[in-house]
Amino acid sequence: MEMMVLLQALDAEAAKLLAAGLAIAVGVIGPGIGIGILGAGAMNAIGRNPEAAGSITTNMILAIAFAEALGIYALIVSVILLFVV
Amino acid sequence: MLAGVAAKRLLLVVGVVLVALLLFGLVRGAIGSAILKSETLIPRPEIHLPPQPVFPASSRELHLGLTSKPSEQGVEADAHTAHDLPEKTADEHGGGESEDHGEAHATPLAVTEFAITNTMLSAWFATIVIILFFVLGAGKKSLVPGRFQSVIESLFEAIINFSSAVLGPGMARKAFPIVATIFFFVLFNAWLGLLPVYQFLGFVGADDDLIKVHLLRPAGTDLNMPLALALVSFVFVEVWGFKSHGFGYLTKFFAFGSIIKKGPFQGLIDVFVGLLEFVSELIRVVSFTFRLFGNMTAGEILVVMITFLVPLVATNFVYGLELLVGLIQSVIFAGLTLVFLSVAVSHQEH
Repeated sequence: MEMMVLLQALDAEAAKLLAAGLAIAVGVIGPGIGIGILGAGAMNAIGRNPEAAGSITTNMILAIAFAEALGIYALIVSVILLFVV
Repeated sequence: MLAGVAAKRLLLVVGVVLVALLLFGLVRGAIGSAILKSETLIPRPEIHLPPQPVFPASSRELHLGLTSKPSEQGVEADAHTAHDLPEKTADEHGGGESEDHGEAHATPLAVTEFAITNTMLSAWFATIVIILFFVLGAGKKSLVPGRFQSVIESLFEAIINFSSAVLGPGMARKAFPIVATIFFFVLFNAWLGLLPVYQFLGFVGADDDLIKVHLLRPAGTDLNMPLALALVSFVFVEVWGFKSHGFGYLTKFFAFGSIIKKGPFQGLIDVFVGLLEFVSELIRVVSFTFRLFGNMTAGEILVVMITFLVPLVATNFVYGLELLVGLIQSVIFAGLTLVFLSVAVSHQEH
């Protein structure tokens, strides 16, 4: 109930700022976890097979790019909320 | 050169000066100013998401708000719908209520207009730099390479080794030109965008002497450049898929034949998987586009905002980060093109 009152009291500008902050804050959680898992996997693999470190690193960076793209989507939404809408 | 003690002393002096500058930046930047309630060293920067028209001068002045929007009489009726949006935002601009957002509400170009934007200019600039780099470096090939030539040779060798690891040597040689082009175009656009020239060349606004329209802006921060590159990469991959499989390439996406071959259950799964592949093939363009655009735009905004928050030394760390991001993004753009190419070419009839 109090939340509703709070939301009604927000003017458009404040709602925009809040939305932009929430968009990037929530949107970065998933990619963060994903990149963490990827990095841990790559470290494990390098520990088991140090000779393959070069190709593991390349593949890890490629895979991180996929996870990171999601974070970038959140960033774009947040930037658009801040500067365009 | 210098004796050990003198060198050590010099290093110490440089370190102290850097720390002093950093502290000065902390105090005089936006953070310190908010606490001390003083004026910031540099004014609050404006973030421009859409690229700004630079030439011809009339559209630039329109963008700056120096001249008002020409009346609609000169424009024929069918262009009127295209002008609806600009008209509305122009009114807002005239109202003076969008003072805090400045250019964010500037008039976008109508469909019928054409103007050279600052991102286009910097893309041409990057192209010229790339051409000069390689013509000067490898124009005269000598058997014993000089310093410049060996840099270029090792770059090419790295790219061709990477692509033959993914595609195999024969295909890698054929895919090399476009992959290397994508790599160098993205890389040079990202790295040239870090030159300070990009920040301080521009046209000032009417009311104060702050730069409102930059002459150059990294091309990656314009959505059109990543989109164009992504479409090039997409078309390239699909054409190669068709080239190596003929029209059988389409059975990867529309696997209706396998209903007859494998029975209804397995066949329907194959059809569904094929449709998923088709959708993901199209989503790839979007993902390519926004990955590059987002990274470049975020870098640009980060540099500008850190300069505003903590002027002087702190920006250098961000510059280091941006060098890394530019390299990684160009490797990823070229590398993903290669990977998708190998997927498209190696697809086999099941």
